[in-house]
Amino acid sequence: MIPFDYRLAASIDDATRAASAADTHYVAGGTNLIDLMKLDVETPSHLVDINALDRETASLAQVTELPGGGLRLGALARMSDVAWNARVRELFPVVSQSLLLAASGQLRNMASMGGNILQRTRCPYFRDTATPCNKREPGSGCSALHGFNRTHAVLGTSEHCIATHPSDFAVALVALDAIVHVRSASGGERTIPIGEFHLLPGAHPEHETSLRHGELITAIDIPALSFGNRSLYLKVRDRASYAFALASAAVALDLNDGRIRAARVALGGVGTKPWRSREAERALVGKTAAPAAFQAAADAALREAVVHRYNTFKVKLAKRTLVRALTQVMA
Amino acid sequence: MTNFRASPHSSRPSFPVAANIPAAGELAPDFAEIDEAGRRVTLQDFRGSPIILAFSSVHWNPAAPERIDDYNRLISRLRGAAGARLLRVEHDGAWRALAFDDAQVTVPVIADGSAELARRYGVGEGPAVFVIDANGVIRWRHVAGEPLVLPENLTLSEENEHETPRVPGAWTRREFVATTLAASFAIAFLPFTRRTDMQAQTLAGAPPAPADTVPVTLRLNGRDVTLQLEPRVTLLDALREYAGMPGTKKGCDHGQCGACTVHVDGRRVLSCLTFAVMQQGKAITTIEGLAGSVGATGDGLHPMQEAFLTHDGFQCGYCTPGQIMSASAMVKEPWGGDDADVREAMSGNICRCGAYTNIVAAIQDVRRGTVSSTSGHSTGAEQ
Repeated sequence: MIPFDYRLAASIDDATRAASAADTHYVAGGTNLIDLMKLDVETPSHLVDINALDRETASLAQVTELPGGGLRLGALARMSDVAWNARVRELFPVVSQSLLLAASGQLRNMASMGGNILQRTRCPYFRDTATPCNKREPGSGCSALHGFNRTHAVLGTSEHCIATHPSDFAVALVALDAIVHVRSASGGERTIPIGEFHLLPGAHPEHETSLRHGELITAIDIPALSFGNRSLYLKVRDRASYAFALASAAVALDLNDGRIRAARVALGGVGTKPWRSREAERALVGKTAAPAAFQAAADAALREAVVHRYNTFKVKLAKRTLVRALTQVMA
Repeated sequence: MTNFRASPHSSRPSFPVAANIPAAGELAPDFAEIDEAGRRVTLQDFRGSPIILAFSSVHWNPAAPERIDDYNRLISRLRGAAGARLLRVEHDGAWRALAFDDAQVTVPVIADGSAELARRYGVGEGPAVFVIDANGVIRWRHVAGEPLVLPENLTLSEENEHETPRVPGAWTRREFVATTLAASFAIAFLPFTRRTDMQAQTLAGAPPAPADTVPVTLRLNGRDVTLQLEPRVTLLDALREYAGMPGTKKGCDHGQCGACTVHVDGRRVLSCLTFAVMQQGKAITTIEGLAGSVGATGDGLHPMQEAFLTHDGFQCGYCTPGQIMSASAMVKEPWGGDDADVREAMSGNICRCGAYTNIVAAIQDVRRGTVSSTSGHSTGAEQ
């Protein structure tokens, strides 16, 4: 790991000013960043520690109610705090489940909301500086295209990158139309809809989010959703716990006399970004909530899938995952 | 240069110029280091018996383990011929991680995290070996980058042997006669001969600046400890290599095994994935402090430790401190009461021996309140 300067930020202004310098990273939980720094994948010269910002602004580390029924998740709230939060479990079980099915008890006590949606892919070539990777070294090539690509994406890929987005929580967020609040060094604030927060790899897989340099995530809002309590996160992986998703589904259904009035569907483990499937939602709305509609939705969600040598199984797996999630959320 | 990662970064904070390397015939620079068991070790302690001071390389290439084997063989043969005591100097444990399995050569390890020892001996990133006789005089050396001239008929005679204190357990053979060493040992050092070129290449000719350390005050098991650390020192390394508390274990060092679990402000976290400098002002509890003041004599056990003993919740024991730290925090989290809940909650702690069944039983005993501490009450340092 290369040496770096460390600074504990005392306020949001202090943090954003410090982070406007080149080659600077924020650090909160550190669980992803420090891992990648040990691998020399991340090589910041300056670290700005934002863990004390809640002394200035307590809500940064809290879950608070929004007027009108939604919830605001402070960027520094830890995965475990949000996962066990009574209001989160009541209003948006899919969020709590996506967090509890991710990482381990220790990591959930460390990792923050802001850091979670910024986590980097687990593509083994991205993590290995000895191999080409367009995301890590633009223009160097993609080792996964013809390499070991069993865990890689089938949706949203490009000829430059097929790396899977690793977050479960972000999949729940895209299903719920969450809003990301950010602050810049100039003190300006803006909001980014979660669907526009993560970018498709296209020709520039090194650009992963629409955040500008030095911008700080302060909160993630989950807007009110009348049927948010009928939501579910289902995750399928190589072992029963403590693994990244091979396929996952975040679903919410609005039912009226057995018919689907509205639906939210997002997929994880199969997309280069947290994957909202409006195709699946369209296939569900107006239909009777039954296996035929669920299968049609799953087929629609994976229609555009592009597979590589070792991940062809993911198409069928993702479909079955979605069908099961829709079946279980009815229960 | 396939033996190096293409990186200018060293785990040793700095490496000095070659001119400072003490030569044969010179008095070996003294040192005062803390060994693996937390004991203070000085060169003076070894007066009276020859020693081999072996510096591990900062970079071993896992794809070329034969280089390590050659290096180990060289040290082993030197030691066998000399009857000298071996002191290995590690920077970060890479050696242990790379299956160093020659039981003859697993002797005291000095963790040279601050590179102080490397600096005194003028050693850079590559491996180096110094043979020091019973009177503390360097008799032979090899530092990566130098031509390897094998020692011939070196005799390390000890003078005033009855006047010099001997370390208990130190090697007592005084004669060092190394006549034959296979020239193939040279291969261990050849890859490092272009080290200087590499530095020039990767650092644009500029020698790296000495790393900046900062004072870091940690509240460890209820006591404030101030350490002088680089910001890049993880909490795990600070505990093990600087604070003399090796109870917390380094398993994968990447947040995948749970061996390094400690409590910060009462919550279980992974000490390998946070920097020590980030944990100032927090209450840190390690396995050494878990039992706290339980027991009149201060040596009582935490109920979770008792339960692991009762249920035999371990085999080799390496994951055990992490399992116990994780378990003792997990019981305060809002999990359901089933065994399945325990297995899910503890999935971040890997046990290669497969003691899971007994670990679950131990945790369930504590959760049901059927285990108590040795002193009869269930208070820990954090409660």
